[in-house]
Amino acid sequence: MVTQEQLDIEADVIKFKDLSILHITSPFDFRLYKLVKFDAIIIHFADIDFVSFMVKKIRSQQNPKISLIPIFLLNMSHTSDIFVKSLIDGVIFSIEQIDLIEVTIRRIKARCEELYMAKSISFEAKVINRTFNLLYTRDKKMLQPYPYHQSVIGYVFPELSVHFTEHDETQVFKILEIIEKENLVKSTFYQRIYTCTSCTGGILNYREVCPKCQSSNSEEEDLIHHFPCAYVGPLKDFKNKLDDSLNCPKCNKHLKHIGVDYDKPSLLYTCNECNHKYQDLHVKAKCLVCGQDNDVENLAPKSINTYNITKKGEDVAINGYLSTSVDLDEMKGTISFDIFKVMLSYELERLRQNDNTSNIAYIKIANAGEIYSRIGSDRQKALIAEFIQLLRSNLRSSDFITFYNSSTLIISLNEIPNKVANNILNEIKELVVKLMTRSFKSFEAEIITKVFPLNTDISYELQLQTLLVNCENG
Amino acid sequence: MDSLIYAIDNFLNYISVVGFSKLLRIFWFFFFFEMFRYIIVDFISLIFIKIKRFSNKDKREAAIKQLYNEMPLVSILVPGKNEGKHIFKLVTSLKEQTYPHYELIIVDDGSDDDTELICRDLKKNGYIDYFIRNNVRGGKASGANTALRLSKGKYIVHLDADCSYDRDAIEQILIPFYMDKRVGAVGGNVMVRNYADSLVTTLQAFEYIDAISVGRMVASHLGIYRVISGAFGAFRKDLLNRVYGWDVGPGLDGDITVKLRKMGCKIVFEDRAVCLTNAPSSFRKLIKQRLRWDKSLIRFRLRKHKDVFFPDSNFRLIDFVSFLENILYALVLNLKWYFYLFDMMFNYVEIIGFILTMNIFLYTLSNYFKLLVFNLFREKKHAKFSYFVLFMPLMVFYHGYFLRIVRTIAYLKEIFFKSSYKDSWNPEKTSVFAKKMGI
Repeated sequence: MVTQEQLDIEADVIKFKDLSILHITSPFDFRLYKLVKFDAIIIHFADIDFVSFMVKKIRSQQNPKISLIPIFLLNMSHTSDIFVKSLIDGVIFSIEQIDLIEVTIRRIKARCEELYMAKSISFEAKVINRTFNLLYTRDKKMLQPYPYHQSVIGYVFPELSVHFTEHDETQVFKILEIIEKENLVKSTFYQRIYTCTSCTGGILNYREVCPKCQSSNSEEEDLIHHFPCAYVGPLKDFKNKLDDSLNCPKCNKHLKHIGVDYDKPSLLYTCNECNHKYQDLHVKAKCLVCGQDNDVENLAPKSINTYNITKKGEDVAINGYLSTSVDLDEMKGTISFDIFKVMLSYELERLRQNDNTSNIAYIKIANAGEIYSRIGSDRQKALIAEFIQLLRSNLRSSDFITFYNSSTLIISLNEIPNKVANNILNEIKELVVKLMTRSFKSFEAEIITKVFPLNTDISYELQLQTLLVNCENG
Repeated sequence: MDSLIYAIDNFLNYISVVGFSKLLRIFWFFFFFEMFRYIIVDFISLIFIKIKRFSNKDKREAAIKQLYNEMPLVSILVPGKNEGKHIFKLVTSLKEQTYPHYELIIVDDGSDDDTELICRDLKKNGYIDYFIRNNVRGGKASGANTALRLSKGKYIVHLDADCSYDRDAIEQILIPFYMDKRVGAVGGNVMVRNYADSLVTTLQAFEYIDAISVGRMVASHLGIYRVISGAFGAFRKDLLNRVYGWDVGPGLDGDITVKLRKMGCKIVFEDRAVCLTNAPSSFRKLIKQRLRWDKSLIRFRLRKHKDVFFPDSNFRLIDFVSFLENILYALVLNLKWYFYLFDMMFNYVEIIGFILTMNIFLYTLSNYFKLLVFNLFREKKHAKFSYFVLFMPLMVFYHGYFLRIVRTIAYLKEIFFKSSYKDSWNPEKTSVFAKKMGI
């Protein structure tokens, strides 16, 4: 606990030791551009909806100095908003408790300084980058789903979903798919949901409806079977106007004992709209997002998972995430990594049937992050395209190229001796350095290449693995 | 071969020697009852029916036109237990009907097989309009009454799930309602689908032709038609509602017909409305079925509806005659046959061989007559009459001995033990009350 004297409070700014903290007490104090000057913010504001708005706005900013800023709430311990709960860094109950959050602020600051602010190629890569940055600086190891009524899917991953408006929320699953595919996270089943066939929304209203007119305005009634005369009818047929006893309209006998002289063999629903009588209720799921009335049998099942960050994911959080595999797959002159593996297996099979020599090699730009962070995403794409063009013009059309990641390419050099392959790679290396120097005057690219002859006695998977391990370590 | 010709020659010689008066004395049973009722009356009636049909041709055309102009909704009721395996065939034959405006209501009376699953699936695919599942079995009558309660049609058609129907069956069964406004119910013509499966089904097939196709045409013409088969019958819904539907069975189809007759309705048979059913394929199953059917004569004619015989404000001569004919031929003459047998054994024991041979000869002859001549009056046929030619001599044993004995057992069991109330065809919980109430 600190005393007022230890704090230097000037208007809405609190100075504590070397920390400068913005104290927001009114919506008018909230100016995003101002946040870059502060080490943290404390929000002291009663309107939880506005707090939620502020928190989301801050966390979805592109500028990491704003989006990663530590946020604390003052006197607001009971909020049910999952975004607020997940995206703030703590709660204090008075300004005097500021020393309690000091450690957290300093830890986040330190972690932020570790980050390499890479400039990603695509929107998806940017979102992944920002999400991983936030998780890393908060020392969070997983993306956890939470049920959320304002989400069109019904679940949110606050650290990721904050980057999307509620209309684009389905994009969240696209991002999750990419990061799982690229082994940045490992998923664990959490829940299965059913989504609308029209909009993939997950907020559904299940109703029992009339199979004829789809109205849910119905009444149910028991059918009574009177054993002695076999009369069957709803309860109202048996009701007596004089007293509570039940009388059979057919034989006028008094109904005495269920199971002895009468029973209720079935239940019948009557639709109040179309008067249709039925037993087999139809269950419909009305999507509250788009209004589509779905048959429950046709709803699309979807797994909601929790995602634990892998070692590779942590590395991405620190060193930045430049491009997704989808971005790289779209590069002209290359093939996807999966196809490369298939073709490599064919090549190995072919080599087993003749005495030729083929090779696999990698080209890695060791300081790619440094290069990419100097230029914007469009320029990055152009540079990569130029790089690929250079490779293609120095390789035969029978050689194939794939991206392992945004800084590493793997090449298959078929039917040439290992020595020749090495020479080709060395020539390419020189050309790439020249290209980089031409593009970035005062910058020298660090290019690493290595060629491996294909061995017909070893599986293609193992040979590829060896190459990649060598590449990672090199 | 020579010995056979010799035997026939001897037999014919003996007839000429015996003389007509002695033949009448010995075979009075055949000449005065069987031949009179089932050959002469039937034959004359069939001729009249033919003439009537010809003269009513235009009236019938007008009735068909009126039916299609009005196009009333027809509710088809199919109550049953464990009938799932038959339902698809049934709904397929209904889909093919020329009369399109119907609703199909199936009531599953506590099935313990896949009936519910099958019916729900068929309903989902639009083959069934209403499907009601009773979790507890209540009996055929309660199933039919449940369906009746849900029905919206002007006419009710009651079907059995194991039957299939000619493409125009529903249309044909509705036409009589438009030919005569007094018609309250119409019975359909039930034929045996599996007539070629075994001897027992072949014999039943001819019995159905004789007793149902021809017998009911004649009974209807004479105004004494009294059983609308549960397999295929059409009713005016307002009349069914007035009698509150079916009563506890077995024998509920005959019972409902009598209830409607007593209301003064005209009940007719329409032989052109054809339904095919599978007859019991073994004698054991047939005995079980016939014991159930035959008991209902005692239960319903002699007990429940005995008031038909007493002159009161509701007395109708035609109902009286109908019942009397039924009881005379089915019960009295059936028992009388045993006295006849004793009479022959004591008084003509020396010529008993001749009597038996002559009996077979006379009945076979009359069966051939029915097969060849009556067949000409039938407009719709399912099996070729030539198929039955070889089986005619066996019909004497089937009809004259086998069915007669089964019928006698059924009557005795019902008269002395009221065993129809113990029949597992109906759930005990309902039979107990029906017995107590004498219905």
